[in-house]
Amino acid sequence: MSDPKMKFLVVDDFSTMRRIVRNLLKELGFSNVDEAEDGVVALQKLEAGDFDFVVTDWNMPNMDGLTLLQRIRQSPSHKHLPVLMITAEAKKENIIAAAQAGASGYIVKPFTAATLSEKLDKIFEKMGKK
Amino acid sequence: MTKKLKSDDGNDSDELQALFDSIASAPSRPGPQSIPKPSVNDAGGDDSELQALFDAVASEFEVGRGEAPIEPGPGSDRGGGADADAGRRADLVFNRIGVMTRQVHDTLGALGADGTLHEAVKAMPDVRQRLDYITQMTEQAASRVLNATDIAKPLQDAVAGDAATLERKWERLYANELSVEEFKALADETRGFIGRVGRSSKATRDQLLEIMMAQDFQDLTGQVIKRVVELAQMLESELLGVLLEVTPPEKRLPKRAGLMNGPVINARGRDDVVTSQEQVDDLLDSLGF
Repeated sequence: MSDPKMKFLVVDDFSTMRRIVRNLLKELGFSNVDEAEDGVVALQKLEAGDFDFVVTDWNMPNMDGLTLLQRIRQSPSHKHLPVLMITAEAKKENIIAAAQAGASGYIVKPFTAATLSEKLDKIFEKMGKK
Repeated sequence: MTKKLKSDDGNDSDELQALFDSIASAPSRPGPQSIPKPSVNDAGGDDSELQALFDAVASEFEVGRGEAPIEPGPGSDRGGGADADAGRRADLVFNRIGVMTRQVHDTLGALGADGTLHEAVKAMPDVRQRLDYITQMTEQAASRVLNATDIAKPLQDAVAGDAATLERKWERLYANELSVEEFKALADETRGFIGRVGRSSKATRDQLLEIMMAQDFQDLTGQVIKRVVELAQMLESELLGVLLEVTPPEKRLPKRAGLMNGPVINARGRDDVVTSQEQVDDLLDSLGF
């Protein structure tokens, strides 16, 4: 299921974080990556391009990651997109809220390349079963 | 309301006093001593009005309490229990207002006197600049490090790739699979590779140095952050003092909890946060996600 041509959308308001995630994805063999700085821009890009995977932060201006996730799950055309949250929000209620909203995975910052790889594999595995 | 306003008095505390009197005398109060003259009423200072108002309220309360205890005494001209109740309630309210007025007055006075609030307000633009500076420095450092890795990584990839190719050829040599011509070519290639390794290593070392140097922001931002934290602490204690003094306990808002709290700075003693990715995974597993 993990196709190296998969198109990723990395959503984070900090360009440094987007760059790090992009580099890590490249390291894992995924070089088809686009970026968005908040949920609003992300939704616009999702409408315009054929993305296969969304990696998003939580706390962002204009539209936060949880709202983005909810909007994706409500959208008939995007509701099946895997959404991995990478965020500094570490409260249990955050994790539960994200899971209930339909997040495919949850990574707490700071994180390692190994964690990202492991979570991606887990998500691909689940997608393969469907 | 009272009409007599001595225009050349230059002080409107008379007006305030009159306003206060008209309110204070609304419940049936006995005797003229229930409307005392304010003890401090000098026309000089800015806060004399406030002072006068406070004193009037405070002494009103004291007079009321001293002269009329819970049971109406003999000779009291009060009508009955209902009036006494209303009087006590009015006393309570006035007492409350008096105490609050005094607190606000004292707090504002104290703030003005040692100038801490003034200092804090003056420092705010400076703080904004300092925080901007931190954002700038950290962003710069992050970019420098990412640029360095962008340069160094392809160098290392090339060395690793060349080494793998050469290793395969040397394996073949040791397995006696190479001709003399091929061996000569391998020797040439290997010589070239050794030269490239030296150059790549130096270039990579330069980038490692760059990464190291990019950490100099820590020292600079650390100092700036310390200053900002000190200022925030000062502001916090001043404002907290004001709030605690003027907010009655039942009016204090419960702590608000949201879902956007940012990184957990200190997880010690908290059980509502996770501190590792394992805990995240365990939590999700336990919920069946």
